[in-house]
Amino acid sequence: MLDFLQAVSDGVLFGATYALIGIGFTLVFGVMHKINMSYAAASVGGAYCGLLILHVFAGAPPWAVFLLAFAAGGVIGWLVYLTCFHFIPLANPLATLMSTVGMLLLIDEIVVHTTAGMPQNYPALFDDVMLRFGDFSMRGDLMLVFGVSVLGMIALLLLLYRTGLGLATRAVSQQPVAAQLCGIQLARVNALTFVITGLLGGLAGAMIGASVGALSPLLTTPLTVKGLIVTVVGGLGSIPGAIVAGLLVGGFENVFQLYRGVTERDLYVMLLLFVFLVFRPGGLFAVKGAGR
Amino acid sequence: MDFYFGLAQIIGVHTLLGLSAYIVLLTGQVSLAQAGFFAIGAYAAGMLTVLAGWHIVPALGAGMVIGSATACAVGFPALRVKGLMLVIATLAFGEGIRLFFFNFDYQVAKGGVQLGPLGGEGFRQIRFFPENGWSTLEVMLFIWIFVVLVMLLLWWFDRSRYGAVLRAVGEDELAAQSVGINLTAVKVSAMTVGGAIAGLGGGLYAHYTTHIEHASFNILVATFAIAYPIVGGLASVLGTLFAVIFVQGVLIEGLRFLGDWRNLLFGALIVLAMNLRPRGILDAQAIVWFKRLFGGGKRNA
Repeated sequence: MLDFLQAVSDGVLFGATYALIGIGFTLVFGVMHKINMSYAAASVGGAYCGLLILHVFAGAPPWAVFLLAFAAGGVIGWLVYLTCFHFIPLANPLATLMSTVGMLLLIDEIVVHTTAGMPQNYPALFDDVMLRFGDFSMRGDLMLVFGVSVLGMIALLLLLYRTGLGLATRAVSQQPVAAQLCGIQLARVNALTFVITGLLGGLAGAMIGASVGALSPLLTTPLTVKGLIVTVVGGLGSIPGAIVAGLLVGGFENVFQLYRGVTERDLYVMLLLFVFLVFRPGGLFAVKGAGR
Repeated sequence: MDFYFGLAQIIGVHTLLGLSAYIVLLTGQVSLAQAGFFAIGAYAAGMLTVLAGWHIVPALGAGMVIGSATACAVGFPALRVKGLMLVIATLAFGEGIRLFFFNFDYQVAKGGVQLGPLGGEGFRQIRFFPENGWSTLEVMLFIWIFVVLVMLLLWWFDRSRYGAVLRAVGEDELAAQSVGINLTAVKVSAMTVGGAIAGLGGGLYAHYTTHIEHASFNILVATFAIAYPIVGGLASVLGTLFAVIFVQGVLIEGLRFLGDWRNLLFGALIVLAMNLRPRGILDAQAIVWFKRLFGGGKRNA
């Protein structure tokens, strides 16, 4: 029983990063009705960029690395928008899907090239802190990851619901034509959506690196798949859904790992997705009209 | 010369992979699960020739049947999800199949050697072609007979009512329903045919590479499967063939001199291709242009 609780707690804490990736996918889908397949790769890429500061200032503190990863994620997000969505007419969903796949491959290869494929160590904060309650323990660095991710989510929700930009984003996601009639510039809102999700993605990548302890380009594929699963389970286009689903998938994944081992763990996560698709295709918090 | 035959074998099998995604794409469903059916066909055909001693042609047939049965089973729940959700669902399904084969052990002792799939190590010693004395040229011709047959079949579909129905569903489901087209039947049948073609391709793949493992059927392969028809253009089967020749022949082999930079160029070229020609290299306009070029002044409407 204790093992189960431990697995759940560790999983939920790590699941906050999945939630951030899921939010990124779902926000782009909600606003543009397109999937950005390169999102997880961009997050990992942003995290790698964070490491660049260690080349300039060898003894830089971890939070500087995280900050640079955050900023780099935003830049990469804008670049993805420019190359995949700005010039392709929105009526060609296949073309945008394929070009985001191309960006996924490109970002992956750039990372492999510059690091020669070697995993890079990632700094972590509080990795020597352990809160213990008898036999039950909570890792300090995982709690930081959870805390930072939650802060990111709160910041995003504040942005979406309390600022003019957030209002414009929500308007475009609901009624793009009416929003344009009100004077909202579609291209600007779309570009800014990508920058915002890129910032979140860079943060998520940095947090994943911090909790795992190392970054490797091999992270991209499982992260893409899990991020998409989180998005679907939570409901395409729903941010609270992505948050809840991220924590859920994180928790389930760890529990599956406890009972069935690492090799079969991902199979069960897929099964979880199929259960949702069969019984609740809209996801946990189904958004009307998001099934397109 | 053997090198070029080998390249032709790869192009042939990848064309089958691309065509399996092509027929599903015609109905408007983007399926990233084709690599999964490819894997099923590969393991099934391999196990039948190696463990049960079958000849390759019935083994390929069995691979097609199992592939199409699985695809049919996937096609029904796939109806419940639309558009981009289907992309995610098929992606997860394809990954699920790969993980299944990652954990799949079925070994039989034959002549003192353990043969069969062994989880992460994969399925070695699929030696039907070498054991029966097939040369590289013969294997290549064998593969291409199937490729040509499948292309003729799909080209014939396109010229028949079935092709029009498929494309109608792909363009506008509501309009198709309103003229009485049964969406379920069309979508599931397209998925099934796609699964059969992928199963055939997988069986051929297993036999010419003689060693398959779960990593041979990953998301990258699934992405290639839809990339060929999308980059080639959905207007004709020739678009897919053209894209396969372009990617495998020109990009992968032709740019080999670039060494490591080749992989970088690959992603960048896909992005460029989609920006410059969103409807594919060989889209409907290009085909009309080709026809005018070779058809002369016969049609000037």
